[in-house]
Amino acid sequence: MSLFAATPDFALPVDAAAASGPAVQATDLAKEIDDRLILRGLNFSIPRGQSVALLGPNGAGKSTLLHLLATLTAPTAGQLTLLGQPVKRSDASLRRRIGMIGHQPMLYRDLTALENLLFFGRLYGVKNVAARAAMLLEQVRLADRANDAVKAFSRGMVQRLAIARALMHDPELILADEPFSGLDIPSIQQLQLLLGSLDAAGKTLIVTNHNIEQSLELCRRVMVLRQGNIVLDQAARGTPVALVMHEVTRT
Amino acid sequence: MNLALTQIGLLLAKDLRIEARTRQTLGLVIVLGLLIVVVLGLGLGPEQLGKGGVATATLWVAYLFGGVLVFEKTMAVERQDGALASLLLAPVDRTVIYLAKLLANLALIGVLALVVTPAAVILLGFDLSAAPLGFVGIMGLGMLGFAAVGTLFAAAVSSTRLQGGLLAMVIFPICLPLVITSTQLTQALFRENQPIGQGIALLVAIDLIYLAVSWIVFELVLEP
Amino acid sequence: MSRTLIRLYWLLTAALFAGGIAMLIAWTPTEVTMGPVQKIFYIHLPAAICTFFACLLTFIASIGYLLQRQRRWDDLASASASVAVVLASVVLITGIIWGKSAWGQWWTWSPRLTFSLILWLLYVVYLLIRPSIAGSQRRAVVSAVYGVIAFLDVPLVYLSVRLMPDIHPSSIQLAPAMQWTLAYWFLPVTMLAVGLVVAQYRLQRRATLHSAAHLSDYTATGAAPAGIV
Repeated sequence: MSLFAATPDFALPVDAAAASGPAVQATDLAKEIDDRLILRGLNFSIPRGQSVALLGPNGAGKSTLLHLLATLTAPTAGQLTLLGQPVKRSDASLRRRIGMIGHQPMLYRDLTALENLLFFGRLYGVKNVAARAAMLLEQVRLADRANDAVKAFSRGMVQRLAIARALMHDPELILADEPFSGLDIPSIQQLQLLLGSLDAAGKTLIVTNHNIEQSLELCRRVMVLRQGNIVLDQAARGTPVALVMHEVTRT
Repeated sequence: MNLALTQIGLLLAKDLRIEARTRQTLGLVIVLGLLIVVVLGLGLGPEQLGKGGVATATLWVAYLFGGVLVFEKTMAVERQDGALASLLLAPVDRTVIYLAKLLANLALIGVLALVVTPAAVILLGFDLSAAPLGFVGIMGLGMLGFAAVGTLFAAAVSSTRLQGGLLAMVIFPICLPLVITSTQLTQALFRENQPIGQGIALLVAIDLIYLAVSWIVFELVLEP
Repeated sequence: MSRTLIRLYWLLTAALFAGGIAMLIAWTPTEVTMGPVQKIFYIHLPAAICTFFACLLTFIASIGYLLQRQRRWDDLASASASVAVVLASVVLITGIIWGKSAWGQWWTWSPRLTFSLILWLLYVVYLLIRPSIAGSQRRAVVSAVYGVIAFLDVPLVYLSVRLMPDIHPSSIQLAPAMQWTLAYWFLPVTMLAVGLVVAQYRLQRRATLHSAAHLSDYTATGAAPAGIV
């Protein structure tokens, strides 16, 4: 199931020079909030097309890191380069290439599914917005509910629509902050399939999660964050669940 | 520039569409305004009614309370379900978000004014015939400044937790110069031979300052 | 800052106040029209000037916070705002007393009294909203925005109340002895104001650092940065 074949109709112009290099390059990345150092000098690089599971206990700084990667906030220190572009405070062009799903839907509940997608598509300047919205609704299996208000949707349906929203502008880097929270088993499986196909389509994916086994299955690389430091960073395959569990839970 | 205008249009249309669909806020706010007018009309005796000051003050009370509810609602729409995050993620300039919200707020309190002002004029026996346009102009300028600052504070104050009255407590004292200036101006307007140039200049100056500051500070309020 | 220095400072301030009161009783000539109550003016005016500077300090600290996002700016802003309220209360009360003795009424909507009242209200609200906002970062941001706009409002309030009818314009002629008294009274009042701001600031800092230390002991839930939630 190819969700994201960027056909010329939908593709947004991409700077050729920026199309090479790692998806994410972080050097001494630090973030301070309220006089507390949340992230302490992180150094890592994520090549394009890799899927990364970001794990760690609450308060480790996973959400903060994701917000930094989404350019929603600026680092206090260090360098961050995304998709070949160094991140400056409000860089609109970079945001065109990044999509995010959070544990909140980030949708307007009083609008219909289709209206939400059309709104965001137009905001991003997507061409042939209606066709793309229809296609995505089809892919996330919400086509029959296109004209229903989002407030009538179940949590699983809302998350699927949220993915469609995040993908309207065909981003290269996709961030997912605990996307599975609050979902029932069938919805989790559907979501896993969708995220897995992103990987197949060559998108760079970073997912935070609490379920270690699920993360190791879904992603190719696992990073564990604890108290603002990276304590584990290796390939997912071959990494035992117990090791990750140990790193996440030890005090 | 074109892009900014398109985006403002998109955001504004979205807000108005949501309000049209839920229809709660406008109804609530209009009824509240009418109730305020009625209470004051009942409470004040015939000697006090008919004076310009009463109508202006009543209208301001109605606008302040109604306006605060409107500003809270248009911001709550974004906070619900984290929609604001998706706006911030999009390639949208923060000042575009501010302008769109301001225009949406102006549209909604404009509707409020359209309904409540004639009611106040009639029920409180306010004779506007001497300078109807001047009156409308003065109240309009007042509401512009009010919305400028209100949009900013609504964004600053709103959160997922309910904090009833907080926005009102913050906006009311800040808007007092607007209330004073427009009330004094309306009184001067309906008395013969009273210079209003200085008052109008002040009102415009207040509006410009509120707009400029809100515009600049809004971005800081949205980003951590 | 050593305790001895602090104690000396406050002793000096108290001494200056005592000296000032003695001066008022024994030395300063009584104003003809108003009588002894007029002497409240010597507290009123210095307090008013200090209020303005306290508000200005809140403004600067608020901008500092918005630009740098460091808690010490927020602590300074709230410290000077609380002192502004104290001083504004003094200004308001002395203004009311003066009004009563000069014009026989406890309150008139004269420009000066109205201005004092609104200024007081503006900064009282600053203090009131803070406890109602959860989350220290959100609280700091909202207070900072309010601190900026409230100060910008001050000249606007001043100009708008001048549009109001002034039934009791007051201009006071000050004899040289009175001018000296006035000049003298600036000293204790300013020292009091500055001392209060510094003391309050240090209290706030201690509280902030204490709660920050506590937080890092626990694995706090990673709250999303304020702008997003």
